[in-house]
Amino acid sequence: MYQLTRVAKRYHKGRRTVAAVQDLDLTIDDGEWLAVQGRTGHGKSTLLNLLGGLDRPTHGTVELDGTSLGALPETRLTRVRAEKIGFIFQTFNLIPTLSAAENVETALIPLGTRSAARRRRVAAALESVGLADRAGHLPAELSGGQQQRVAIARALVKDPTVVLADEPTGNLDEDTRDDIITLLERLWRDRGLTLILVTHDTTIARRAQRVGVMHNGHLTIRQDSPNR
Amino acid sequence: MFFVTYVRRELRRRMRQAICIALGLALGVGLVVTVAAASAGVTKAQLRVLRTLYGEATTVTVTGPKWQGPSRPPKGTPAPQMGPHGPEICVAGGTCTSAAGKTLSANDTLTEGISVAKVAAAARLPGVAAAAGGIFLSESTLSWPKNGASTARRGGNALGARMGGYSLEGVDTRHPTLGPLGGASLISGRLFTAADANAHVAVVDAGYARSHRLRTGAVLPIVGPADANGHTPAIRFTVIGIVRQAAGTNPPRVYVPLKAAQDLMWIKTGPASLQGKVTTIYLAAASAADVPAVTREVARLLPGTKVTSASGLASEVAGSVTSAAKLANDLGRWLAVLVLIAAFAVASLLTMAAVARRAAEFGTLKALGWRTRRIIAQVLGESAAVGLAGAAAGIALGYIGAAIIAAVTPSVSATVGSDFDSGGTRLIGGSPVQTVAVPLHPSVSAGMIGLAVLLAVAGALLAGAFGSWRIARLRPADALSRVA
Repeated sequence: MYQLTRVAKRYHKGRRTVAAVQDLDLTIDDGEWLAVQGRTGHGKSTLLNLLGGLDRPTHGTVELDGTSLGALPETRLTRVRAEKIGFIFQTFNLIPTLSAAENVETALIPLGTRSAARRRRVAAALESVGLADRAGHLPAELSGGQQQRVAIARALVKDPTVVLADEPTGNLDEDTRDDIITLLERLWRDRGLTLILVTHDTTIARRAQRVGVMHNGHLTIRQDSPNR
Repeated sequence: MFFVTYVRRELRRRMRQAICIALGLALGVGLVVTVAAASAGVTKAQLRVLRTLYGEATTVTVTGPKWQGPSRPPKGTPAPQMGPHGPEICVAGGTCTSAAGKTLSANDTLTEGISVAKVAAAARLPGVAAAAGGIFLSESTLSWPKNGASTARRGGNALGARMGGYSLEGVDTRHPTLGPLGGASLISGRLFTAADANAHVAVVDAGYARSHRLRTGAVLPIVGPADANGHTPAIRFTVIGIVRQAAGTNPPRVYVPLKAAQDLMWIKTGPASLQGKVTTIYLAAASAADVPAVTREVARLLPGTKVTSASGLASEVAGSVTSAAKLANDLGRWLAVLVLIAAFAVASLLTMAAVARRAAEFGTLKALGWRTRRIIAQVLGESAAVGLAGAAAGIALGYIGAAIIAAVTPSVSATVGSDFDSGGTRLIGGSPVQTVAVPLHPSVSAGMIGLAVLLAVAGALLAGAFGSWRIARLRPADALSRVA
């Protein structure tokens, strides 16, 4: 479970100070799907970074399962990300020189998993996203949708408790977008993940249990959806 | 292994940059190897000359001070002059006869003698394994044709005589390997034994034997000092062995026992005489560590002499070999250092640029839970691989450079014995200053190969370290925001 208490994040741009997130209180239950909407530059990605421990709040606390992420030393924070948090990025962020299977494998390297076990888990992860026959392909040899599936497999191969998805369908066409969201939804249900998904797309947001809107660094929960 | 796969794939993606870095390192390393090989070749050339002169076993040599005695031969020695009817030879009492068909010879040296008692004293010094005395003589001859025709046009001197001569070394037959004979290879007969100490036997150089049609067992007449009547009888030496010295060197042509060499000196009495004396002491130190102490002790025992260790002998060698040594050590070394620095700088800049371009990739890996040091290890692994490639190419370039030097400069000249210049006219013909052509063989040793690998990998890792510093400072959120 996430517990955010009076969280704020400020950046300094020259002499200006930008308040990306301001005074945010939020609780996210285990297994919940929260969608975060908002215009560009209003703090959505910053919120995701704080939730993922990729950044530290200027004020306030971000707790994951009772542990304040901002207070952890870098090595322990890295360990938390390795074990508990899966990331899905808008631009897929696959390593271009590694194959689909090897990209998925990168998520298991920090866990010290033995190579045989790694191969098994990678194969299972690719199977779950329907890309078992593309294991040896490089990202350049895959379509956008396939690349995002690989990224999803990479996020899930380590059995995380949390998946943070930043505009996972932003670079995809409409049909592929639906496929990806449907896949994510299925995996969320099957695995009981806590899924926080940032999106511009209202139709996607409505599929979540809760929808929040970021505006000038403030988060407003618009409504609880029927999925909740 | 995932690490190796990742390194391999990444280098393949950045092939051009990797090749550029490797070539830069190879150039610097190749230059270092070439300079080191040339320097080693020059040192070998110097030592080759010196071993010929002083033998393999000798580590310290002692030579007497320059001869400071009279510049004229002793009274009674036959001397040439131009008479009213042509060249003539005059003996004691002023009697002069025509020089036609005659040969005038003299054996001389240009350093003062050192008492043999000092040789024994030097042998007893701590750290000295063996000591032997030697005598260097230069036999000079003037010969006139029988028909009295002047040989001036055919290279003779103003007296119409053809000049000739050769160098002769007196050897301590108890220690034949100390001294220049120690560097020779026996190709016929035998070398001296202790029993030959008082015998009229000789070992000759192969080239001299060939030109004078000498074989083992042949008789070699060597002119001795003048008698009371001014006659210079030839002493008959039996050739017992023929030796060959290293190619391109100019060793003594004839070796005789020490006693015989002392007797051949044309000055029999007085301070210039070599009776009971030697001109050089050859010492073998018990170990390399003893050489400095032995050098000091000998200098204390024999003040006024010139004491030189094996390493110091290298400074005795002049000629183009010395110029080559300076070129290799000074200009060559600095050039190699500058090129290496430039190669390291370029490698560092290119690596840092590559890391900057991969910021999103490294940010993603950090987001996936990769620790900074693991990412750094990946970058350093890529750098090390480039370094090894640079080392291999650098070694190959070093071999090529050494081969080019050997081809372009097949030999250098080495001059030894400049301290022996007489500055006078005691000698007619012959000079103890020897200039020889020595082949230059630049060689690449295992140590140089190891140094090349070390330099290239160190340079590449240094470049990787700069990149790693950027990675360590990279905040994942910042890195990922660049993609967005």
